[in-house]
Parts: sequence; structure tokens; C-alpha cells
Amino acid sequence: MDYILSGLIHAFELLFQGDPETYSAVKTTVLASSLSVGASMVIGAPLGFCLGYAHFPGRRLIRVIVDTLLSLPTVVIGLLCYAFMSHRGPLGGLELLFTIPGMAIGQTILGLPIVVAMTATAVENLDYRLKQTLLTLGTDPRQLLLTSLWEARFALALAGAAAYGRIVSEVGISMMVGGNIKWHTRTITTAIALETGKGQFAMGIALGLILITLALLVNLAMSGLKRLSGQ
Amino acid sequence: MNKSLYHLENLTQVYRDRTVLDVDRLNIEVQTITGLIGPNGSGKSTLMRILAFLEKPAAGRVTFQGRPLSQVSPVLRREVTMLSQEPYLLKRSVQANVSYGLKIRGISDTQHPVRQALEKVGLDPARFSQRSWRELSGGEAQRVALAARLVLKPKVLLLDEPTANVDRESSELILHAALEARNQWGTTLIIISHQLTWLRQIADHILALDYGRLTRVR
Repeated sequence: MDYILSGLIHAFELLFQGDPETYSAVKTTVLASSLSVGASMVIGAPLGFCLGYAHFPGRRLIRVIVDTLLSLPTVVIGLLCYAFMSHRGPLGGLELLFTIPGMAIGQTILGLPIVVAMTATAVENLDYRLKQTLLTLGTDPRQLLLTSLWEARFALALAGAAAYGRIVSEVGISMMVGGNIKWHTRTITTAIALETGKGQFAMGIALGLILITLALLVNLAMSGLKRLSGQ
Repeated sequence: MNKSLYHLENLTQVYRDRTVLDVDRLNIEVQTITGLIGPNGSGKSTLMRILAFLEKPAAGRVTFQGRPLSQVSPVLRREVTMLSQEPYLLKRSVQANVSYGLKIRGISDTQHPVRQALEKVGLDPARFSQRSWRELSGGEAQRVALAARLVLKPKVLLLDEPTANVDRESSELILHAALEARNQWGTTLIIISHQLTWLRQIADHILALDYGRLTRVR
């Protein structure tokens, strides 16, 4: 038990003394996850709107595919991204492998189905009178999309928070696409995995505490948003 | 002065193989008040949705200002607005709800017209304009929804049982405001209502629908 206790004490020292290596991992995590959540929302919200709003042939099949993608393993996404971004792959020329933008692309693939599925559900659950009201007030299709998304804003933010929670805690993509390079692409989760493997529990615990704090903040945000969306 | 606004000929609407509307001929003239009566499920709201361009008929010919439906431009469509018996308010303030239609038309100075519209429906702008949509009673919400239509000064106002779910005071204010729109801007009113006595007082024409078939009462 002693090594766990001393690890915990050392972890607090690292955190409060502003250990550069620890905070480099935090910075990389926040940067990559913010990029990927932003991209997931920008791409996923309109797609989710179309899926929840429009009726077209194959809609149910697409919904099943999106729902299936919700449980896509991160290592599979990591593997696919690695194959595409490696020098032999079709995106090799872009030199995305072992970079933060490369990691963000992989994490966007992880977050996208969450945003699409939750946006589609939010749009499906919008009041049936909304569309008629907007049309009789004279909206064009673009205004109809934007206003409907704004009416579902709390549910959309909830989708963003859920995607963030999944992205910030993943290991597979960051490890395979980012390469866990110190000072560069090492994230909180990959650093925990590495430090634990080396028997260095202090930094692992310190980063774990930060990750738990982030998860707590995301959950608090989600519960607040759920309350707002229900009103 | 009377000129055809809507003209319907051999119009039918079908939902899942069931004919819900079957109108041989109907002419609605500009600046008139037309009352629509009939039992529930007689096709009144379906007819309203077709007149509001929300639905296309299964068959038949509909013209608006002499143009077939397919040739009615978005600008022309914006001259027609509808208020249903259970209106939807956007999850915003009263001010934002009433000004929405103006903003999507590119009008940024909305303070004065919103104030005027709220006064027309008997809501004090100083008390109500900053209120949230969830702080309104049913009658107040219906009046805000009407104000959101009146602020547009529409050429056609379709009212689908606008007073069905409100108290007497709100009902009187809503009907008064709608009539004022006709008198002030020449808005053509088409009103579904079960208040036949009231309709007889104000309407130029009263149409009755039964099983989708139209008969002229007056």
C-alpha cells in the first residue's frame, strides 16, 4: 500500500509544483480533444439534423449504421487512421501521422457518431409544431435548419459533452496515431498507460486525478444541460 | 375592388387512401373574411394547411394571386401566415419570438413594430417583452403568437381555431386584433371557428365542411 500512498503524495507535488511533463500531456489532451469535438460538432450537427428531420429512402439503415458506429473500438479507428496516414497510405503525403491534427482526425471519427446520433434524436424529439410555425413565419430552408438546431441547443450541447467525455478518455487512437511522443503527442491517457508500465505511479496518479476532474466537469455540464433541455 | 386571392378547382387531398378533402370549386377574394365551420375531422385544418402552402393537394388546381402553387415565389408565400389553436413559441423571450419573422426578412430595427404588435393583442410591452416563453399563460402565449404574425402585416392571416384553448378575455383580444388587421392593412382573414354567431357577425362568407365536402352557408 505504501507505494500507492507515496505515489499519491508525489502526484499532488507534481500537480501543485506545475511539473512541465505532466502539464504538457494535459495541454496536448485539451488541444486534440477540443479540435476533435469542434470538428465533430461542425460536421455532425447538420448531418444529425438531416437524419432526424428528413425522410428519405435508406434513412433507417443509416440510423442503424450510425448507432453501430457508437461502439466502434478506438483501436480499430487507430488502426484505420494509421493505415491511411502512414507513408504507404493514401494520406501519407499530408504527414499527419504522429501529429496532434492526425490524432484529432481519429478522435473526430470517434466523436462523430455520438454527435450525429444524439442530434438526430434531439431533432426527432423536437415539438411537431415547430416546423409548421417556422414555415408559416416565412423561413427558408437554411433558416429552418439553423432555428431548429437552436431550439435543440441544450440537447446539442449535451451531444458535444458526451462526445468530449468519450474522446478525452480514449487511449487507442492517441497511442496509435499520436505515437505517445513526449512533449509532443503524449496525452493524459497514453502517459498513464506508459508510466504505469514503467512502475512510475506518481505521474500516472496525477494525470488520473486531472482526467477524473475533467470527467467530473463534463458530467456536471451534462447534468446541467439535461435539466435545461427538459424545461 | 374584389379580386380573386385563392382559387381552388377539383381539389382533393388523400391521406393513406382516404379522401379527406374534396372541393369542387372555391374562390376567396382579397380583403374578405371567410369563416370555416364543420365538425372535427371534416377537413378544415387540411384546407388551411393547403392555403398556407404547408401541404400540396393530391389532385386539383390551386392558384394564389392568379399563380399556380408551383409558381408561387418564396416572397409571395411570406405574405401568408397562419396561427393554429396550439401555437409553438420559440424557446426565447417574448421580444425575440415576436421579432423572429422580421429578422428572417432582414429587418433589424424591430423594437417599435414589436411594441405595436404586443399592444394590438393587449400585452403591455414593458411587462411582457423581456419575459421568457415559459413564463406565459396559455392565453398570453396565444396572444404572443398572434403578435408574431401581426408584426409581419400579412396579406393573408389564417386562423385555425385561435380561441379554442384560451379564456374569454384572451379570446376577445385575439379576435379584435385580427379584425383590426383587416381594417388597418386589408388583411384577408380565413378563420376556423366553432363560434357561429360571432362568425355570422363578422364574416363575408361562411363555408361549411363535412366529410371533406364544401358547402356555402352564406
